[in-house]
Amino acid sequence: MIKINSITKRYPTITALDNISLNVNKQEFFGLLGPNGAGKTTLMNLLVGYLNPDQGDIHIAGEKVTQDGLHTRKNIGLVPQSLALYDDLSAQDNLDIFGSFYHIEKNLLKERIKEKLESVQLYERRKDKVKTFSGGMKRRLNLVASMLHDPPILLCDEPTVGIDPQSRNAIFDYLLMLNEQGKTIVYTTHYMEEAERLCKRIAIIDFGKIIAEGTIDELIEKLPYDETILITKNQVTKGKIDLLKSFGSVVDEDDHFQLKPNAGFQLSQFFSSLEKNTISYKFVELHKPTLESYFLHLTGRRLRD
Amino acid sequence: MKTILQLIRKDYKLFWSDRRAVTMTFIIPIALIIIWGAVFGNLNKGGTATKLHIAFLNNSTSPIGKKIERVLDSSKTFVLIKTYKDENDKRIPFDTASIQNFVRKGSVSAALVIPADALSDTAFGLKLKFYYDPKNDLEMQMIEGMLQKTIMSEIPDIFMQGMKNKAVKFLGLDSGKAFNNEIAKTVGKYFKIDPKWITNPPVDSLLSMAGGSDSAKNSFFQNILQLDKVQLVGQDIANPWATRSVGGWAMMFLLFTLTATSSALFEEKKSGVVLRLLASPISRVQILWSKYLYNMSLGFIQLLILFSAGALLYQIDIFSNFINLVLIIIAAATACTAFGMLLSSISRTAGQANGYGMFLILAMSSIGGAWFPTSFMPDFIQTISKFTIVYWSMDGILQVLWRGAGIFDILPHIGILIGIAVLITSISIWQFKKGHVF
Ligand SMILES: Nc1ncnc2c1ncn2[C@@H]1O[C@H](COP(=O)(O)OP(=O)(O)OP(=O)(O)O)[C@@H](O)[C@H]1O
Ligand SMILES: [Mg+2]
Repeated sequence: MIKINSITKRYPTITALDNISLNVNKQEFFGLLGPNGAGKTTLMNLLVGYLNPDQGDIHIAGEKVTQDGLHTRKNIGLVPQSLALYDDLSAQDNLDIFGSFYHIEKNLLKERIKEKLESVQLYERRKDKVKTFSGGMKRRLNLVASMLHDPPILLCDEPTVGIDPQSRNAIFDYLLMLNEQGKTIVYTTHYMEEAERLCKRIAIIDFGKIIAEGTIDELIEKLPYDETILITKNQVTKGKIDLLKSFGSVVDEDDHFQLKPNAGFQLSQFFSSLEKNTISYKFVELHKPTLESYFLHLTGRRLRD
Repeated sequence: MKTILQLIRKDYKLFWSDRRAVTMTFIIPIALIIIWGAVFGNLNKGGTATKLHIAFLNNSTSPIGKKIERVLDSSKTFVLIKTYKDENDKRIPFDTASIQNFVRKGSVSAALVIPADALSDTAFGLKLKFYYDPKNDLEMQMIEGMLQKTIMSEIPDIFMQGMKNKAVKFLGLDSGKAFNNEIAKTVGKYFKIDPKWITNPPVDSLLSMAGGSDSAKNSFFQNILQLDKVQLVGQDIANPWATRSVGGWAMMFLLFTLTATSSALFEEKKSGVVLRLLASPISRVQILWSKYLYNMSLGFIQLLILFSAGALLYQIDIFSNFINLVLIIIAAATACTAFGMLLSSISRTAGQANGYGMFLILAMSSIGGAWFPTSFMPDFIQTISKFTIVYWSMDGILQVLWRGAGIFDILPHIGILIGIAVLITSISIWQFKKGHVF
């Protein structure tokens, strides 16, 4: 459905995307996970033809994306990272305006607007100005404003930043439902929990490069260990840091040490060693590895600081 | 095309939803026009609506002194203050010292004193004392000018009296009288006045004239100094001052509006709406076109409304030459729109656009003649002013409203305005292509 072929995009001072290639399949829920400034938004803007790449090309549903080619855009709905709404107009007027550019038949557009407003629980507030909305309400409106032409592909650029868990869950459920109905969704985020919950397949992007790609299970399997071990930071454990290091690499975190075990690591051996050094089991916690640990493993940094 | 119309519709919807924009575009300009009309309205009627206050003291016993007092008292231009209030709130007539004090304290700008020897044998004319406070030059010049005008035109025999006194003094009583008669004959011959009237002016008829009667035409003064003023242009204009100024104001407001609307592009960019629009089947060119057409039409509507307000409030006649007015307004709106688009193409933020805009508008308006006529300005400024949109728009509007110019008279103006529009539009398109804005 989406073919990204060796894309490079440079800004005057920085190379935002460096020779990126990706494929997104039809009806896939694809996640693009990366920290701030990784290049996620830049890639989205290239996908809709808002920006021109310096090298490479992008094809969507077989058609090449260009700045002047307006036709591919009918297949895409872009949910911008910023709240791209007219604050001084009502929710309904906003949708009316954004829908009008797709030349949808008048009554059909009216019907769609009603349906979309209802699906994100904003129908009651349709006559209110957007500036009177809460952050979560604006996010929900921002989402449906991109979908009035019922596009087969939805590009969501961090559609849940800065909102309450309730609105976030509503958006998740809505997107999962759309995906089930057959829409292809590309979803950018720097929350690995979001990617884990929503996406079947993800790509991890860092400094403009794809550093990993695959299903979540595939990625985690590539880790040389099955779990991470958290050890509470206190007087006792602080003194035994060398002991911990003999079992794997240790990352010093705020209130605990995170141990990523070496190959051949055995839990029983680890625990008996703790016992000998009078470190209570109370201070030790086992964790299944996550995308977060995978990112840490690849980059030595956390997704978010 | 349909997309462009949809975009324009969107911009108008946004405009109406923004109460501040509507106020700034229509209400405030009309309010300012009303205020300025009230402030400057007098210029139009020759200063008759307000009277100039001056302190006045007559120490002379001569009939001339009395006459001056009466003339000034009854004039439409002056109000004479002859007393002041002391600490006990009692009204006390001025004397030579207190009247000077009165001016010094700033209670009034000027004082006129007719001294006891106002009309001495030795003096050629009349001796008056004028005390003033130069805090306001313009007012001073006005008072002085009006005083001279009033006294001279209403009491011309003062000069004859002075002249006769001089002649008698130099030539002795008898030959002096003879000379006076000769002079009177000569003067009468050349100025077509009865010599008897000169040697012995009919003071009573002069006094009746002093009240401003319509026989003032025959006054001696006017016969001597005949300045035939014939207005060649604009004699049928109901409100000349407003008609001359309305173009300048309108242009300034138009530029302000278009600066504001062009900075709206930055708001749309900042919020990400531009990205949303360009992610729909809309091209950059379409957005630019829609902005041009929207701004032009809004500017046109604004000018039309401002001129209609002028027509309603000040009887500016916009209808007798309406088609040409519309043409010049369209040209002006086009040029101003191009100006607004240039601003948004060279700025990076709305604040920057507004800043540049403010500077350029004020510079162009003052140099272009929106505030005062360019003919008052130094030559090199007059040359510069020909490079401003304001100058050509104003002059075109003036031609249409004032001289009733036809289409061929304003073609140069329209041509130059469109030329300016084309020129600065190419600059802004070149800038837009660089991609700073989108
Ligand atoms: N218009 C621009 N001009 C110059 N540099 C830019 C521009 N837009 C983005 N960048 C730079 O390109 C890099 C990638 O930015 P991008 O917005 O794509 O990151 P992102 O992954 O979306 O980040 P975030 O999670 O914060 O949204 C950043 O270093 C950013 O500073
Ligand atoms: Mg981003």
